[in-house]
Amino acid sequence: MKTTTFLVSTVLVFLGLNVSAATTIHWWQFWTDPNIKPTISAVVAEFEKANPDIEVKLTDLTWANGHEKIVISFASGTGPDVVELGSDWIAQFAANGHLVDISDEIAPDSGEFQGWGMATYQDKVYAKPWILGTRVLFANRDLLTRAGYNSDWVPIKTFELQMAARKINALGENVYGWGSNTAEKHRLYKKYLPFFWSYGAQIFTDDSKYCILSSEKAINALRLYKELHDSCGYVSNQRGIEDAFLDGKIGFIISGDWLLKRIELENRQINLVSTLIPGLNFPGKSFLGGEFLAVNEASRHKEAAMKLIDFITSPENQILFCKANRSANPSSIAAQSDPYFTSNDHLQTFIKQIRSANHPPVDPDWVYMEDAIERAVEDALFGSGLVAEPLRQARLKIDELKKK
Amino acid sequence: MVRRKVFSAFNYLVLVLLLAIMVFPLVWMFRVSLMSAGGSIDIGRIFNVDFTLANYRDLFLAHNMGRYLFNSLFVGLTVTVGNILFCFMVAYALARYKYLHNKLLFMTVIVVLMIPAHILIVPLYILMVKTGLYDSYWALILPWLVNPIGIFLVKQYIESIPSSMEEAARLDGAGELRILVRIVMPLCKPALAVLAIQVFFTNWNSFLFPYILTSSDDVRTLPVGLALYQGHQAIDWQHLMAGSGVAVLPILILFILMQRQIVSGITAGAVKQ
Amino acid sequence: MKPSRSTALALVLPWLLTLAVFWLFPLVISFVMGFTDFRLLVKDYQWVGLANYRALFSDQDFIKALKNTFIFVLGTIPVTTVLSLSMALLVSRRFKGRGVFRAAYFLPSITSMVVIALIFTNLYQRGGYVVLLAKLVGLTPPENGLLYDSSTALFSIMAMDVWMSVGYYMLIFLAGLKSIPEELYEAAEIHGAGAVRRLFSITLPLLKPVALFILVINSIKSFQVFVEIFVMTKGKFDTSTAVYFVYETGLTTGFKSGYASAAAYVLFVIIALFSAMWFLLLRRRQALW
Repeated sequence: MKTTTFLVSTVLVFLGLNVSAATTIHWWQFWTDPNIKPTISAVVAEFEKANPDIEVKLTDLTWANGHEKIVISFASGTGPDVVELGSDWIAQFAANGHLVDISDEIAPDSGEFQGWGMATYQDKVYAKPWILGTRVLFANRDLLTRAGYNSDWVPIKTFELQMAARKINALGENVYGWGSNTAEKHRLYKKYLPFFWSYGAQIFTDDSKYCILSSEKAINALRLYKELHDSCGYVSNQRGIEDAFLDGKIGFIISGDWLLKRIELENRQINLVSTLIPGLNFPGKSFLGGEFLAVNEASRHKEAAMKLIDFITSPENQILFCKANRSANPSSIAAQSDPYFTSNDHLQTFIKQIRSANHPPVDPDWVYMEDAIERAVEDALFGSGLVAEPLRQARLKIDELKKK
Repeated sequence: MVRRKVFSAFNYLVLVLLLAIMVFPLVWMFRVSLMSAGGSIDIGRIFNVDFTLANYRDLFLAHNMGRYLFNSLFVGLTVTVGNILFCFMVAYALARYKYLHNKLLFMTVIVVLMIPAHILIVPLYILMVKTGLYDSYWALILPWLVNPIGIFLVKQYIESIPSSMEEAARLDGAGELRILVRIVMPLCKPALAVLAIQVFFTNWNSFLFPYILTSSDDVRTLPVGLALYQGHQAIDWQHLMAGSGVAVLPILILFILMQRQIVSGITAGAVKQ
Repeated sequence: MKPSRSTALALVLPWLLTLAVFWLFPLVISFVMGFTDFRLLVKDYQWVGLANYRALFSDQDFIKALKNTFIFVLGTIPVTTVLSLSMALLVSRRFKGRGVFRAAYFLPSITSMVVIALIFTNLYQRGGYVVLLAKLVGLTPPENGLLYDSSTALFSIMAMDVWMSVGYYMLIFLAGLKSIPEELYEAAEIHGAGAVRRLFSITLPLLKPVALFILVINSIKSFQVFVEIFVMTKGKFDTSTAVYFVYETGLTTGFKSGYASAAAYVLFVIIALFSAMWFLLLRRRQALW
């Protein structure tokens, strides 16, 4: 217990023994599931061995409430030296001066990593990408075959997706063409945005001056999404959709690499197809996000912090982590060419998709915008049923936000 | 004339029906905790022949649940004992010496209870950090050491006890401490028992403050430990259910042991009246 | 003779200290925060007077949250109270296995709310047990599951809340029932009063203090319903409540702590008034026990 350690240390210090010339840095991270934590602890132990003068203290954050804990600690000036942040939170912290500008430190090997865009705010880099995440289209080969498709057919255009989904839906009472998410915070918009971007729509104009969320293209994308939902949607929360998909009840779903983990761990028998998200005329753009590591501006051990970050994000350690967590998208390009990824078709889909994925604007107000977009989609699917009007409302909200 | 009523079959039927409704989700919880980890938990699997104690074993051998259980017990018992002591002290002072008005006490009770915790959390966190109490048992104990509802409860009880015995003792020259401990406290047992249950019970499942006010494994409590099973995109149901089962146990045991006491706790007071 | 003033002070001191340091201090700070535009991660902030409060009254989200909170409170409190009283009456008599039944009814109250919310999210899902049961008895639950439809989401959560709390209040009622002297019932029976008459003339009136306690506690708790919403729906489908609004506004999304504080204090006033109402309705000039 702490008291004992304190007492022992005090005694030792009095005895003139050098207890610790060590620098202690704190790292707050989210991989606390008892199945993954050992990997993290092992990597940290390796780091401490390689750097005997640095001691790392880990704090576990829960996915449900971790963000609040981070915010409260940074707000009171007591944040950790190294913090794991989701890509959509970086701007909030960077904009208020809580993160260290590491543009110089990462310059030499920036070419070896993907995902810098999400950590760049006002032309400065504030975090290092660690594990990226995207979404791809999964399908059930057996259902496709039953619906009359070849054994290697995949939809390239959204029109093809619509047709295939309908054909699968028509197969029977208990079979659905499309897994459609119910209103879930931080999730629904990630299902719509891929189509949004694939149709060529943008949230802002290139010069970031105007919000064009309700452009013609955006409306068409939402129409498509709604059509899928209305005509052959199995509506439930993410987990419910995955369950039904893995049980062979749904033809197509959009999901992330964790689905592969589920299939493996639960020993599911499913004839899985993974392919890039379809676009208007050719494969479109998916959603890009990820976990990043940043240094606290208030840290007193910035160098040690950066060393830890570099160690954790090294190709070898990324591969180690991805294998343990069954993650598909390490940010290190070198890691991506490891046989673990290249030998697996599904992982390859993810790696390909990353190269064709957009990330949301790096903006401190992104969470508000995300909320506005989500409400628009919710309204279109579960509320008024209109498509153009909700998008227009969302655009107006974002406009107001930007005016301040 | 002794009143004897036949406890009809109908009554039993209602009881059992209620039992089924109240207990079913928890039975499901228990069943899931016995499933092998990593698998799906949908309805189809419920009846599979798949029983294992591995999850419970994991909890204690690999996931440090034993420590979390200890912490919860330690904090819970300390807060409970503290409340018994301090609430009693304050209740006595307020009951016997009308120093502070009933109203003021009541206001405090209200104000403290009615403000959503999320508003207090930020200032409280900052306070804990600045005083160095962050991430220690103190952070989990000190703010909850004296519960105003407890004071209220015990005060009402003491007010129903005539002060004659105390006054006699005082005339005999007995010190205040002696009077408190030897005379008044034993009389308050029923109210203190109810207080103990209430405090321990409220504290046992509390999550938000322990989560925000601590970081390290050493002082983590059970609810926070359980929260870790809610993973990134999936919930580790089997372990989570096993953990919840373990979390329920101490309270359940407490309840069974003190059932008599709880229910009859007020009887003693009423008879006195 | 009363204890000396200094003794009284000494007795009260620990409480006053912890109260002042850990409660009054944060309370004052958060109250003051309500008059600023303080945002958690932003370093500068300024005094805005009553602007937050004014904004709240035209904030559709807040109004909806308040509305839902009232529905929640007015919907669950009567049901919980009546049910827990009935259950207490049921298990107050001596019968075989009484302890087992009592413990079983009490079980939901002592299980972690988060875990219960997770379990019920599963049960309420499309294809979950509750949905299946509803279909079995001839109802037509929404196709997407009970939590993903505005007409059933809030009520489903309310039902779960009632389920979770009855055991605890049953216990308190039980204690209250025990304190009613047997002689009263016997005397009434001699005078020819039937079971129903006895219930309304003896039991209920004498249970008033206990009922008051339960109603106040339940009100305070119900007005602050949060965990269920957070775990199950995050406020979607018309389930946002006042405290969820406070949490979302203050700790996530934009970290508008000042604004959230103002909302919290509006809620506080509402709770205080509501509780005062119970006292006025059920007050008796005697001790709570």
